[in-house]
Amino acid sequence: MWHKLVSWLDDRTGYRSVTALPPRVLPEGPSWTATSGGCLFWMLVVQGLTGLALMTAYSPSVASGWASVYFLQQLPAGSFLRGMHYFGGQALIILAALHIVRLLLAASYRPPRELLWAAAVLLLPLLMTWAVTGNPLPATQKGFAQIDVESNIVGSTPVIGPMLRTMLVGGDQVGNLTLTHLYVLHVALLPLVAGLLALVHFQQIHRHRVTAIAAGTAGTTGPLLPYWPHQTVRNLSAFAVVLAVVATLAVRYAAPLDAPADPDLHNVPRPEWYFLFLFELRSYFVGPWEMIATMVIPAAVLVLLLAMPAIDSICSRRASRVVRYGLVAIGLSAWATLTVVPIVRDGRDAEFQAAKVEVAELAARARQLAAQGIPPEGAGLLLRRDPKVQGPKLFTQHCASCHTHIDPSGKGIKGDEPTASNLAGFASRAWIGGLLDPKQITAGHYFGHTAFADGEMVDWVTSTIGDADPDERAELDAKIKQVVIALSAEAQLKSQQGIDKADAQQIAAGTELIKEEIGCTDCHRFHDAGDLGSAPDLTGYGSRQWLIDFVGQPDHERFYRDSNDRMPAFAAHPGDSPNNLLSRQDLALIVDWLRGQW
Amino acid sequence: MIRRTALKWLCATFAAASAAVVAVPVLQLIAAPLRRRKSDQRRVRRVARLGDLPVGKPKEIALVGSRRDGWAVYPNETIGKIWVVRRDAATDQPAAAKVDVYTAECPHLGCTIGLGPTGTEFLCPCHKAAFDLQGQALPSDALGYENPAPRNMDTLVCRIVQDQASQSWWVEVEFEKFEYGIAAKIPRMSAGG
Repeated sequence: MWHKLVSWLDDRTGYRSVTALPPRVLPEGPSWTATSGGCLFWMLVVQGLTGLALMTAYSPSVASGWASVYFLQQLPAGSFLRGMHYFGGQALIILAALHIVRLLLAASYRPPRELLWAAAVLLLPLLMTWAVTGNPLPATQKGFAQIDVESNIVGSTPVIGPMLRTMLVGGDQVGNLTLTHLYVLHVALLPLVAGLLALVHFQQIHRHRVTAIAAGTAGTTGPLLPYWPHQTVRNLSAFAVVLAVVATLAVRYAAPLDAPADPDLHNVPRPEWYFLFLFELRSYFVGPWEMIATMVIPAAVLVLLLAMPAIDSICSRRASRVVRYGLVAIGLSAWATLTVVPIVRDGRDAEFQAAKVEVAELAARARQLAAQGIPPEGAGLLLRRDPKVQGPKLFTQHCASCHTHIDPSGKGIKGDEPTASNLAGFASRAWIGGLLDPKQITAGHYFGHTAFADGEMVDWVTSTIGDADPDERAELDAKIKQVVIALSAEAQLKSQQGIDKADAQQIAAGTELIKEEIGCTDCHRFHDAGDLGSAPDLTGYGSRQWLIDFVGQPDHERFYRDSNDRMPAFAAHPGDSPNNLLSRQDLALIVDWLRGQW
Repeated sequence: MIRRTALKWLCATFAAASAAVVAVPVLQLIAAPLRRRKSDQRRVRRVARLGDLPVGKPKEIALVGSRRDGWAVYPNETIGKIWVVRRDAATDQPAAAKVDVYTAECPHLGCTIGLGPTGTEFLCPCHKAAFDLQGQALPSDALGYENPAPRNMDTLVCRIVQDQASQSWWVEVEFEKFEYGIAAKIPRMSAGG
């Protein structure tokens, strides 16, 4: 029954003519160096399979690219498969290079195997291009910066360059269409080309295979071991080692996920390590000569390699060996030098390393925010809406010309000529305590540099607290402490949530003191006591809305009115008017950052 | 020299191991949506003020909440629709009011159940399943054929609660979804991911 089925299948397909072929042998016998081709092929297959798996979750657009990759890494085996694909791609480049080196040293390009050689040589630039199309797909800062530069290199090609660049990028700027173009190249067109090269390569291997019979007639002595299983077992075991290395890397190190692409963010563009040699080479050719590094030299090397069969035919055996080994030696050492030099240089560059740390922190913050959910508009907004990231930037831009933000350890933001208060810890108990301290209120970090330095508040603090009777001082200090606690509670700071709740009694006592005994409400309004007019409203002091209103209009009747010193009104116009110094979103980001609300 | 059959076995072993390193994670990945998440199974919501509900007349209410779609979180989406029917007239004991809540998802294949033209029955637009105002499946559907609904409209747990701040009385519902097409009312687990 089985026999009948098998005969039917053979009659329809003719498969037995393949299995019945005389076994292939390697004239030099099975060897471990000959595993380079097998490893390369199976690594390509694995890369394709992991790629297909990633395609079940990846979405190519600026809004969904980063988010879908982040999401994928939370799925079971998602992080592992992405790691396999990331490190597998780099392994492929190394394996292809090793394969070419082996073929070159063994002179495997000699007739009749010239096409075999050509297919192998062309695979290496194909793999590097393949990687170039893959790296920007997660829509990260780094990926976008890389494709930006790489597409500009394409654009520098004479005559057709700009046209090619515009077609690749899908417009003027890297964006949605760039991703869709890179995606179709990465998952469809380049695999097709690789498939064709593989087809040519295997057809050639088959056509020029040596069989035991042919080897016997060629004069080699002794029985020759067949390829299967003697060489195959070496191929598969070597490949298993390679796969184990890649899998270990994938488990040990997750594929990197940089911060989501955002033109506002700081950039530290560097190509991947396998392109560093071109990056370095380019720096030796300035201006119009740049093309020599980016196009002429790489093309020349390719042409030289492809021409090896011809070069070999005009050399003697000895000369050919010198040329081959020389090429490999020079090529590898040049490549290694050109790769190591920029790595070492960047390692010594303090500014570069600092920028790298900054970028890594942004990436970590993006991933932290993403864990709470990514808005439909995309991950780029995560950092743009984050007070922790934007606060210091906006503060430096808009506030630091007068204010400082220096924490107790002395670190923070400071302009050239601070003329206003230090806002670190604003409205916290420590900060208000310092304001009500006669020794500190006139210091530079409170009112010292402002017009209020000889104003009524300073007067009150220095006389009422500073000049108080020594015997009453202790009691007064205790009461002021309660006032501070009560006033600070108005801010509802996230950092004080616990203690504000625990000190409810102190807050109640302090509130009473503010309204009665200490008499703050003689000048300030505080909830139902006191009036506006002489001093800022203390109701909700330091709370989100209070601070937004204050920064928006410090000269408002609720705050300083005409006695406002030099602070500009950052939102003088109603609504989100474009005439305002700060947009509503930016104002909210600064306020949230000042209040530690992130 | 190792025997040829031994070598062939070695080849098979290496090939199988390498294949497993790739195949197992891939299968895990594509099976990921089958993982069920226990969280946000039942979403408790205050859906309507008791005073706003007319007696005996069903009111359709859309529940709004955040929805996860793969990697994205949509903050304000309709996550479900329900029918709320107040059964008894207003008394001075609002806590004991009789209110029935049904999910508007048809137990047949999940279309949104609406109110029939006469207002005396619930009617599903897709396959014309019909239910009386008590949520019971009628013997025949709106066209006179056998009612495709496999069971009655799914009831949802509801409570009458009083709001602390305003002192007004609200209907609070535990919203959940149920499996389609079967006679038994079994909660549908939300897919993991």
